Amino acid sequence: MNLRIETLAQATCVIPEGRLDFDAAPGFQETLERTLGGKPAALIIDGAALEYVSSAGLRAMLLAARAAQRAGVPFALCALQPAVREVFDLSGFSRIIAVHPDRATALAHAQPGRA
Amino acid sequence: MDHSSLSSRARTARARLTVPPVLRSVRQLIELVAAKVRGFAQLLIEGRGPYARAFENLIVVLIIFSVASIGVESIPGLPGWVMRALHVAEIIVVAIFTFEYLLRIIAARNKLAFIFSYQGLIDLVAIAPFYAGGFDTRWVRALRLLRLLRVLKLQTHYLEKVVEERTRELADKNAALEKAQAQLKAELEVARSLQLAILPSAFPARPGCQGAARMIPATTMGGDFYDYIELPDGQIGLVIADVSGHGVPAAFFMAVARTNLRELAVRHTDPGECLAQTNDALCAQNPLDLFVTVFYCILDPKTGVLRYANGGHNPPYVRRAAGPIESLNGAGGLVLGAMTGVGYPTHTMQLLRGDQLVLYTDGVTEAFNPTEELYGVQRLVDEVHMHGSGTPAALVERICQSITNFAGTAPQSDDITLTVLTWGAP
Repeated sequence: MNLRIETLAQATCVIPEGRLDFDAAPGFQETLERTLGGKPAALIIDGAALEYVSSAGLRAMLLAARAAQRAGVPFALCALQPAVREVFDLSGFSRIIAVHPDRATALAHAQPGRA
Repeated sequence: MDHSSLSSRARTARARLTVPPVLRSVRQLIELVAAKVRGFAQLLIEGRGPYARAFENLIVVLIIFSVASIGVESIPGLPGWVMRALHVAEIIVVAIFTFEYLLRIIAARNKLAFIFSYQGLIDLVAIAPFYAGGFDTRWVRALRLLRLLRVLKLQTHYLEKVVEERTRELADKNAALEKAQAQLKAELEVARSLQLAILPSAFPARPGCQGAARMIPATTMGGDFYDYIELPDGQIGLVIADVSGHGVPAAFFMAVARTNLRELAVRHTDPGECLAQTNDALCAQNPLDLFVTVFYCILDPKTGVLRYANGGHNPPYVRRAAGPIESLNGAGGLVLGAMTGVGYPTHTMQLLRGDQLVLYTDGVTEAFNPTEELYGVQRLVDEVHMHGSGTPAALVERICQSITNFAGTAPQSDDITLTVLTWGAP
């Protein structure tokens, strides 16, 4: 899996590309923690290039969501591919983590004070 | 007392008489000095310490200097002072070489063997022409270059020894590591068989009910499990679950989840309520932030009524006796262990005689083949469709075979778990 980071004025976007599985999850988790450590205005995971998420990948997202909540940083997912979206719906994660159809919507919602 | 010991004492007495005390102490002194000198020689010549290295480096520098000075001497029209300086330098160099040569003889265990050895002769040739004097010794002195070979040879020898030593150390460490790894592997094997052993081996006996299950663990320890729970009112609880991640943490969490669920299932006969209670219990004892997907259903074997709740698990299938396949896709809840205080709706379905329930974990649908293609839901549904009319054990076997054929040489990255239940079979 490849990870890209884009720093915008309103948010830092992490863009995982490929398969977020058991092997890729620790690196992904570490990147999210480091990004949160930099106190971004908001943290958005853009899933446009994310092909697959295993349970270990879900766990990394859950930990990041909790850490973001503690740090008061709005956290959201956006642009998930249908197969990945299904995993989030099935596991119930889309009920506890904000999931937006595209990045523009996610940025619009990621105003401070609107988690 | 025998004759020989008597005579030896007599000899000692005679020796004492013939050597005056003063001479004896002089001899002792000489022996002491000789031992000191030998020790010093061995320290400089054979030692590995900083003095020996410094001395060796000094000799190398002197050899190079003296050979270079031969070249300088042959330059025509050199000023007199340069010639004189070179001559003085030559004397110093030869003095040091002579000192070194003597040290080598002293340090050698077999002195004659050293003197007549190839190296000993070269050392001698390096200094002898100076003492012989009177003729042009420049080409003989150039032979001193040969001495460099000795130093190089010595260093190569030393390096070889170091390499040998390090190789041996490495081999020892590898052996220790291999031993530790073998032990760890053996312990993991035990843990894995314990994990498999806590899975129920047989479906509870009920008239008209048949069940079969299989769990194929991945190469690392996984966290899948299934369970049959005999409830007080004769109903049967059926569980299939998948803990996030792999390895020992997942296996431990699996054991904790199973124990909690089993205990709470007896007290809470509504599946949704049971999952909610289990979720709260797991959240309270989850230091590693793991979670588990759980599908839990309760079958009344008398009536065929199936009540179920889903905590983030893949919805199971029902193959109707009449043919069609349905998904148990009533709205579910969050995976267990992620967040406390969440609810799980309970759904009800009426089974008809001969209906077959198929529970599975994502190790089935996410099995890969060598070209990284997923086994997928469709292949599973096709197998259920084609072979669902047989016994549960036969269907489990067919599906496992189908996955094995599909995966081929691709490694199994996740646990594969299947449970099949037929209700109202003749």
